[in-house]
Amino acid sequence: MSRATQTALVRDDRTTYEAAAGAAVGLSGVAFVVGLAALVGAVEIGDPVAGVELSVALGAVLLALGLAVVGFGVASRLGFVDAAPQPSAGVVAAVAFTAIWFAAGVTAAGAAGIGTVGRLGVGTVLGGGAFAVTALPREDVGSTVPAGAVAVLCGLALVTGVVGPGWERALAGYNATLFGDTVVPAVVLFASLATGWSAAKAYGGFGARGRNVGAYVLIYLVVGSILAVLVGLVAFVTAKGLPGLLNGVGVGGETLVRWPFLTNGAGLLADVAGVFPALVGTVWLVIGAVLFAVPTGVGAAVFLSEYAEQGRFTGAVEVATNGLWSTPSIVFGLFGAAFLIPRFGNQKSLIAGMLTLGFMLLPLVLITSREAILAVPDEYRDASAALGVSKWQTIRSVVLPAAIPGVTTGVILGVGRIAGETAPILLTMGGGVLPAKSAAPNVLSGFRLSASPPFVSNPALLEATSALPYQLYALITAGLSGNIRNPQEYAWGLALTLLLVVLAFYAVGIATRYYFRRKLHQ
Amino acid sequence: MSQTENADAEDATDATAVTANRTDGRRASTTAGETVEETRPEWTSYEASGETKVAVEDLDVHYGDDHALKGVSMDIPEESVTALIGPSGCGKSTYLRCLNRMNDRIRAASVDGTVELDGEDVYQDGVDLVELRKRVGMVFQSPNPFPKSIRENVSYGPRKHGDIETGLLARLTGRAEPEREARLVERSLERAALWEEVNDRLDDNALGLSGGQQQRLCIARCLAVDPEVILMDEPASALDPIATAKIEDLIEDLAQDYTVVVVTHSMQQAARVSDQTAVFLTGGELVEYDDTEKIFENPESQRVEDYVSGKFG
Repeated sequence: MSRATQTALVRDDRTTYEAAAGAAVGLSGVAFVVGLAALVGAVEIGDPVAGVELSVALGAVLLALGLAVVGFGVASRLGFVDAAPQPSAGVVAAVAFTAIWFAAGVTAAGAAGIGTVGRLGVGTVLGGGAFAVTALPREDVGSTVPAGAVAVLCGLALVTGVVGPGWERALAGYNATLFGDTVVPAVVLFASLATGWSAAKAYGGFGARGRNVGAYVLIYLVVGSILAVLVGLVAFVTAKGLPGLLNGVGVGGETLVRWPFLTNGAGLLADVAGVFPALVGTVWLVIGAVLFAVPTGVGAAVFLSEYAEQGRFTGAVEVATNGLWSTPSIVFGLFGAAFLIPRFGNQKSLIAGMLTLGFMLLPLVLITSREAILAVPDEYRDASAALGVSKWQTIRSVVLPAAIPGVTTGVILGVGRIAGETAPILLTMGGGVLPAKSAAPNVLSGFRLSASPPFVSNPALLEATSALPYQLYALITAGLSGNIRNPQEYAWGLALTLLLVVLAFYAVGIATRYYFRRKLHQ
Repeated sequence: MSQTENADAEDATDATAVTANRTDGRRASTTAGETVEETRPEWTSYEASGETKVAVEDLDVHYGDDHALKGVSMDIPEESVTALIGPSGCGKSTYLRCLNRMNDRIRAASVDGTVELDGEDVYQDGVDLVELRKRVGMVFQSPNPFPKSIRENVSYGPRKHGDIETGLLARLTGRAEPEREARLVERSLERAALWEEVNDRLDDNALGLSGGQQQRLCIARCLAVDPEVILMDEPASALDPIATAKIEDLIEDLAQDYTVVVVTHSMQQAARVSDQTAVFLTGGELVEYDDTEKIFENPESQRVEDYVSGKFG
């Protein structure tokens, strides 16, 4: 203390109190991460840690954190530390702790076998008490004691083994059972959020700065857990799918790279069953839908934003497009089945699927293109008009180039949705459960010229074709059986392939957007 | 508003003249119910030396119910700088935008009266707007280069008019003229006093230039179409003093070959660069139009004197 110049603006040394609060924030973070890992099954709560079960160790940590947090509040209230608490922790925190303690009271009373009215009574008393403790005293007590007490309660339950690895409870009146495997991580997540927030406030010395730090910790923990779920999902599918996807991969031989899962069909004679027909089907499907929807969507957007009089008509079109975008995909599928299929050879076909997905993609492309075109500054249009350049040329050479990044964003989002759609192609495109390699659509070399209308035909477009999401669905409904060696592995490989195809389309879209943004601004 | 009232108080001696003027039915109007403003036809009947390039007769502009310009008549002589000054909302930008029919782009605007460019009415039926705007170029208040390279910005107009072919087809058929384009770009940028600063980075995006450079690029873009009249709507109001000085030098320089009409809020700018000055005051009326020197040193109207000496507006 004495060595540093201490002013109101500059504080260049760290007090023991701050160090302790910082450590508590860190420990809460660790407990949160371990809780998350236990929830997704990366660690087991029954695993031994330092001679005890993980759940007991976590309980001890929560207990310590809870006591520490209460200690921070009391120390500040008694004036041992230099903090700037406000008169009250505020209504939001009070309502939050009321809800938490009401729930805790109802649960505890239920566990003790008290009836419904008694449970609500206990909950109300505890909730009301929590409200009073949070809202009435000064902020340093109000935002630490209820949070610390939650952690102490949870910690005690875990340490004493009231809730542990083997714990389970059938919910009366519901056909469901709670297991310790999920309840313990949930309790840990919850209590560590409370102590993390509270300790962060103590670290910031309460008041405006403390609230700021507390909000940061809360937001980072929540964002982190969302990211963890996302990464966990991708990692899970990847781990399950990789063996199937990489089955038989090698370098050399007849071709430079052998990747049988991607280049084989699912015939009896293939040594490794593959997803080639469905993969090609999905790629053509997306290309066809984009080729249909992007020119029409962008064209309609140009008309609506540049030419049409803004009024009732454009308003009606806007409502209609928004409605179409939120229309359930199975409705589009029905439309395709009832309207398109009779017009294309009366059987499920690739082109019917392309157009159905194109119709689904159209509203999003229209909406985002319109936004992007409206966002192009009027100065560009004025400047071009003042040079004597006609309206259409202005749109083509100034407005549309400036709108491309926005349009691309819309197409990326739309492709992400339609590439994984199952319901519409189930009704319009069909395809087998385990198509052989010969079933893959051969669109490029399928074009035939003829002397009579329609002059060009392409049988490949008129045949039932499989796509990845449909094949996955068909495999699962068929009970994961069939003439392949390891249906389970095959299906997971298929799922991973679908994920990668969608991500690949994303990557193409993002690269396009990046390219055009650079071109516009550098 | 209080300044306006002060000006009116000083104007009180002219009250009889106002009444007299009102009886002849022209140009006496009542604004805001109380302010009596006076204009006299002889104050605006200025005959410039030199050929008339643009002749404007009885120009009225309405934006919906708003009468933005009231019966303005003024002739703009060729190869000179004409400054339009006046407080905000006085109609000087509206007047400017009538000369190349940019007001057509505002739906609610309606224009009555005649605007003649070299004796031809630009508001008659069948006028080719493309041709009109090629001959009457415009530079805007805030620099608005396209998000393209410097070269593409300058050659944008000629390319779109088909004067220069640079497309793939032109290149394949041997009709592309890269040397001609390069010459045009260089000449236009040199004329706009920008060539020295950008000749080593013509392919960089124009948005990377400073504000003053962007504005000179916009002038170069306008010159590339080879206009006869250049309209400038407060071209330096978004720029710092050094960039402003460069633009002002450029305006004086351009007047040797072009007819320049410049709207400005800066009295000093008008006094420095213009040959003749038109003063618009509140209500969309042209109050006085004369040699710049006369306007700034010995104006006829008391209100103009107050305005140019900074007492009101």
